[in-house]
Amino acid sequence: MEQRFANSWRMTVNEKKFIQTALLSDLRTDGRGPFDYRNLTIQFGSEDGSSEVQLGQTRVMGFVTSQLVQPYRDRPNEGTLAIFTEFSPMADPSFEAGRPGESALELGRIVDRGLRESRAVDTESLCVIAGKWVWSVRIDLHILDNGGNLVDAANIAALAALLTFRRPECTLGGEDGQEVIIHPPEVREPLSLIVHHLPIAVTFAFMGDQSIVIIDPSHIEEAVMGGKLTATLNTNGDVCAIQKAGGEGVMQSVVMQCLRIASVKAADITGKIKKAVELYKTSRDLKKIKRHPDSEVESHSSKKEERKHKAVIAGTSSWDPYSKAADADELKAGLASQAVATPDEKMDAIQPEKQQLNVMDESPRDADLSPSLSVAAEAGEGKNKAKSLLDAVKPKHKRKKTNLSNSDGS
Amino acid sequence: MDIERAGGRGANQLRPIDCFRDVLSRAHGSASCSQGETRVLAAVFGPKAGTKKNENPEKACIEVIWKPKTGQIGKTEKELEMILKRTLQNICLLSVHPNTTTSIIVQVVHDDGSLLPCAIHATCAALVDAGIPLKSLAVSLCCCLTESGQILLDPSKLEEQKMKAFVCLVFPSSVNSVLPEESTPATTKSTEQEIITSLTHGVMTVDDYFHCVEQGRAAVAPLSNILKKKMRSQSAGKSSKAA
Repeated sequence: MEQRFANSWRMTVNEKKFIQTALLSDLRTDGRGPFDYRNLTIQFGSEDGSSEVQLGQTRVMGFVTSQLVQPYRDRPNEGTLAIFTEFSPMADPSFEAGRPGESALELGRIVDRGLRESRAVDTESLCVIAGKWVWSVRIDLHILDNGGNLVDAANIAALAALLTFRRPECTLGGEDGQEVIIHPPEVREPLSLIVHHLPIAVTFAFMGDQSIVIIDPSHIEEAVMGGKLTATLNTNGDVCAIQKAGGEGVMQSVVMQCLRIASVKAADITGKIKKAVELYKTSRDLKKIKRHPDSEVESHSSKKEERKHKAVIAGTSSWDPYSKAADADELKAGLASQAVATPDEKMDAIQPEKQQLNVMDESPRDADLSPSLSVAAEAGEGKNKAKSLLDAVKPKHKRKKTNLSNSDGS
Repeated sequence: MDIERAGGRGANQLRPIDCFRDVLSRAHGSASCSQGETRVLAAVFGPKAGTKKNENPEKACIEVIWKPKTGQIGKTEKELEMILKRTLQNICLLSVHPNTTTSIIVQVVHDDGSLLPCAIHATCAALVDAGIPLKSLAVSLCCCLTESGQILLDPSKLEEQKMKAFVCLVFPSSVNSVLPEESTPATTKSTEQEIITSLTHGVMTVDDYFHCVEQGRAAVAPLSNILKKKMRSQSAGKSSKAA
């Protein structure tokens, strides 16, 4: 019992008064204007359907997975979409493991209503055999850091993960055409989900008696606010959901003003999400081109082909589209020096990437790709030096340091 | 005889390790560790007042919560929690804060083999970040045994599934003492010979097991140097986190 009180964080009267007084002059504690969002960064993990969103101090991770299941009886030709929200105890000392608290349930419902009930994701395309097999898409949202305004961040994480998720392609087979064969990604390209529109949640906080409205409340502002309103809109001007659960009463005009501001913000955020997803998809497509040589070169034992094999595989996961421009000379050198059995462009990855390790580290999104860069470097070096266990662990201090500074900055 | 590993790694070659501290703002200590594609995030809260019912109040209590990437918490997660807890009880100085609970939350971001070693490195870094007193860091390694009897270090997920057996070992890291070199070589050797945790899957002969332990022990010194460097380098160059 006492532990829970020890864990809960109380705001002092001074802090509360300060925040409220500052807001009377349109000042917020982190220097934002009343209708400014915090910095939004969207990053993607190494596999399809995993996203990490950082909105100021708030961090949310989204994972999308899919499974073949039987459909619901009343909807035999539609797939299902389920959202699971996890308020991890690492986000806030007051979050407890186990049963979700009411704010966790509320967040889950808001995101759910915005995505599922507004039909943002096309569920009919998830049907494989009507009445028997449909795809069930499961979104897991993990709240890692509670810096305030979890709803918006969780919503963006869910959308980003859905847009980059791809489900395996399946065909009907068997004698009676009733058997479903799922094709692994190496055999057939997985398919993206069909997303009709992007519902963006925008949260407003109401403070004080003069109905001061601020957008994207931070964690301390949430502790002081009198009421909260979340509006989920898309860029087509549709209001997908509005949630105002109790709290201070606000005038109708204020609500209308909030909706107008929300539509502007929604357009802004949609643009950011789309841009991040495009960048990710481009790098994924470029990786795809390099993937095919692996299966051919797998079991060769001659040294030359081994080097090619290593280098090519290393190339698959570390292609950086931005450094391509500088590689023309190295391309030619690379092509001249190695006997090319596989198509030319696949060899490009090796030389530039070995020599330009530092360049590729700069973009924070490559933080996920760069560990595999060092595999290439290690692969090349490891073969040349005599094998010893001291060499086994390559201390790539310099590169990791640039990585550190980038990841901290993001 | 030599098995070809993806990325051209040698049998004794580990994937690159990266470790970032202080990644979360609310947690008292946090760290993110990645080994190749495997990524784990760990956060530490504590020490908090009071211990759980059946725990010894004379010592600090450690509580581990393991969060998988998707799916519900099941027996594997409970087992990993128990393993982590017992491992950490060995490296933490429990008598410094009696009658307190330190909570450690581990979140799996991506699992590409060697999950437990990565989690242990992340947890140690998070404990360092939180300032919890530790006896030593823990250094951990996964070794697997192929059908032909060859030992590979740090398998990826695909390799793990194909192997005959694999073992996960946790050793205390080599200690850099601030005291002058009084300790005889015998004592320093003995700390390195300790195995804190050993977890095996599959069938292997006793000789193979000891070979794996040898390999693991040989990698302790370079691994612990790298981890310490990562933790040290970050604290030197870090400006205070803006709110």
